[in-house]
Amino acid sequence: MTSGPGGSGGASGGRKVDGLAHLDDADMAERETAAGEAPVRAPAPGARRISWQKWTFMPVFLVAALLATWLWFRGARLDSIAHQAVDNGKVWLALRQHIQLTAVSTFFVLIIAIPLGIALTRARLRRATPVAMAVANLGQAIPALGLLVLLVIWLGIGARSAIVGMVIYAVLPVLANTIAGLRGIDPTLTEAARGIGMSPTGVLRKVELPLAVPLILAGVRTALVLNVGTATLATFGGGGGLGDLISAGIITQRMPVLILGSVLTVALALLVEWLASLAELLLRPRGLEGTS
Amino acid sequence: MTATSGARIHLENLTKIYPGSTGPAVDNVNLEVRAGETVIFVGPSGCGKSTTLKMINRLIEPTSGRIRIGDEDVTDMDPVRLRRKIGYAIQASGLFPHMTVAQNIALVPKMIGWSRARVGSRVEEMLDLVGLDPGEFHGRYPRQLSGGQQQRVGVARALAADPPVLLMDEPFGAVDPITRDHLQDELIRLQHELHKTICFVTHDFDEAIKLGDRIAVLRERSHIAQFDTPEAILTNPTDDFVSGFVGAGAALKRLNLTRVRDVGVVDFPTAGVDDPLQDIFDTLRSGATNELLLLDRNRRPYKWLRRGDLSRAKGSLARAGTLVTDTVTRDATLRDALEAVLTDNAGRVAVTGRRGEYTGVVDVETLMNNVHELLEADRLEALAHQHDLQEQRERETRLAQEGLDTGEGGPGGRA
Amino acid sequence: MSFWEYVGTRHAQLLTDTYQHASVVFQCMVLATVLGVLIGVVTYGSEWAGGLATTSTATVLTIPSLALIGLLIPVVGLGVPPTVIALTLYGLLPVVRNAIVGLRGVDPALVDAAKGIGMSRTARLVRVELPLAWPPILTGIRVATQMLMGIAAIAAFASGPGLGNEIFRGIASLGSANSLNQVLAGTVGIVILALLFDAAYVLIGRLTISRGIRA
Repeated sequence: MTSGPGGSGGASGGRKVDGLAHLDDADMAERETAAGEAPVRAPAPGARRISWQKWTFMPVFLVAALLATWLWFRGARLDSIAHQAVDNGKVWLALRQHIQLTAVSTFFVLIIAIPLGIALTRARLRRATPVAMAVANLGQAIPALGLLVLLVIWLGIGARSAIVGMVIYAVLPVLANTIAGLRGIDPTLTEAARGIGMSPTGVLRKVELPLAVPLILAGVRTALVLNVGTATLATFGGGGGLGDLISAGIITQRMPVLILGSVLTVALALLVEWLASLAELLLRPRGLEGTS
Repeated sequence: MTATSGARIHLENLTKIYPGSTGPAVDNVNLEVRAGETVIFVGPSGCGKSTTLKMINRLIEPTSGRIRIGDEDVTDMDPVRLRRKIGYAIQASGLFPHMTVAQNIALVPKMIGWSRARVGSRVEEMLDLVGLDPGEFHGRYPRQLSGGQQQRVGVARALAADPPVLLMDEPFGAVDPITRDHLQDELIRLQHELHKTICFVTHDFDEAIKLGDRIAVLRERSHIAQFDTPEAILTNPTDDFVSGFVGAGAALKRLNLTRVRDVGVVDFPTAGVDDPLQDIFDTLRSGATNELLLLDRNRRPYKWLRRGDLSRAKGSLARAGTLVTDTVTRDATLRDALEAVLTDNAGRVAVTGRRGEYTGVVDVETLMNNVHELLEADRLEALAHQHDLQEQRERETRLAQEGLDTGEGGPGGRA
Repeated sequence: MSFWEYVGTRHAQLLTDTYQHASVVFQCMVLATVLGVLIGVVTYGSEWAGGLATTSTATVLTIPSLALIGLLIPVVGLGVPPTVIALTLYGLLPVVRNAIVGLRGVDPALVDAAKGIGMSRTARLVRVELPLAWPPILTGIRVATQMLMGIAAIAAFASGPGLGNEIFRGIASLGSANSLNQVLAGTVGIVILALLFDAAYVLIGRLTISRGIRA
């Protein structure tokens, strides 16, 4: 299975990122994972095979599941209503829209949340940090569906409202994780950096940001996983995506359509999560492998 | 207090081999601990001393060998039932942080089915025994205690169900040196009252000398290098490994072996702070000595008062004399006493009882005479012991040459 | 019609939905807690089983809830069954993970001490390990509950109970005068419920976490 080592997004794991109250536990989980999966990171010769299996399981599973669904779907008898829902490249369109929604909203989440997180941990703004954390925590109580539909009423039907909603929804947890991670950097390290005469920018650029890379990667993963999920709700505001297939299937009571939409959504979510964990593993700087 | 006194512990050919490891972690240990005796397992880290200890209450199941406690073979007994009869105290106290001090102490008595009332009074009794005020500490949580206090509660919990045997695994390893010293003194006092059979693991040889009736010096795989009284180990280590472990300053360490109560504690003229001034004057002027010890209202040593001090202070007790800076208990070692005498310019130190009340005085001459006698006696004993050993070795060689079984043999045979 | 007028005229319906929303989340959470702690207790001792429990529950959590509900409908039909199954599954992960982390995080010296003073396996678990692992487990329950509040809203699309129905009524009448009021009522109701539950957990924490280990 591939929740993947590292799993800082593990605070997330997914749909709705766990609140801040949870961060210490996430840290604990982190250490636990680090200990548990030590062989994966250790360059021991025997370990490579284990991680190999671990990393290939998910794509193989997904390909098999998709193939089985496709074969089944081709054999299923579709009436005209079902045909209407899937013909003329509607499935590909939905898939493409879903990926676009996810990519665009993730991009905005990252360029908003990470710089904001860095800014909020600087000395001048540090007093605002608890406020930001409290807001982020409170934001967890708002249901994604409600938020999205309210934005649709306010901004009108379409992908734009969906993206705005997804960004708002995902910014808070990523921001919270970034702040927590930057604050979690061993103060003796920054002190040492200042002690050898680095400027504040130098400390940020040469010490804090490199140390925060794993954290930023985890933020990317969190945002991606969250957004893939929230993007299914875009259908309720006319935003498209794979949610179109699912809702059409439910409303029209056409099981093949419903199952096709659901399987594709699940497969996409798992694939995105898998890619994000892989990226997290590959991009994590050497020397920080044991940390988060 | 009616307390169960100790039971004999007998380890026979005790061996532990961890699955997947080539050699045994503990190899064929034979050892007998007499009832009511304190035996210290001491050795370098990783020598298997903790493993050996944990096999006694079967926290680690032995691969082979037998364990007997009292007259009972406990090797195959239900381990849970066994452990309820053995006190267990570990490093950093092992107190459960989510339970109060009282709940921690009450655990074992409750598990073995004591009545509520009996458990309640036992908790108070145990707190009192380890020198903590029951009223104050009863409801506290472990994190509200200092390291030394936690360790005291740990010992109280281990002793709560009045087990005949007490196992202690580096119990004082995590406290600062001063507190450790106090805790060691407390343990000696406790053992003086209770006569449990104690097995105590440490890597600190000084702690071993201070606490042990006998010391088992262990090398790797728990092989017993020497099992003997502290005196014998200090004056006559069997080999380089043991002497290396004993370390330098054996003569000074010898002072740790004798306690103040074993040397002459003498009476000293005293007076209370509430006594009439005239009486104090009279005592000082008439007595054989020109000095007396002024006690406070709780009969604790307060000030040394010399003839002339009072008149110089114009008759005010508050200003006269020098404050008592250091006292020792009857359980303190001669080393502590010597230290106190050397720091106190009076050339003597007041000896106090359990609650700090005055019981007598030790002076520098008494101490020096005792030390000379001790060292001389040790030297003679060591000579005799060496002679015995030589004879024994010759006899063994002779027997071996004759092709006969040398009897018990083996490293444990010395026990 | 202003929002308050809307709430005034529809309060019976709103109260029913709110009650059902709270009720389904609460019941699923109780189920998820029992199952989650059980899974944690059974698997934490083994590196392999614990890892499997954590990764599989984490994988479930990655699945968008609408898709999971969509997959459940062909099997169990519409209405309460898919809602309860989905909510319980999603509620499981934080509880399982925190139970495993919490139980594994108990200082081995304390477990050793518990063994050493003669506690049985069950006594150790019930009197030492679970009480010490309880704070992270409770945090897990708290996080899971907040999450379920939102997912329960989505489950209304599969004819599940609760305030989600209010939101979907709003979507259905998009453009009409009441649509905003309906969506707002549903959303605000869920937020209030989430905050109330959170407050309840703080209280439960105060009552059930020993003062000796409270932060």
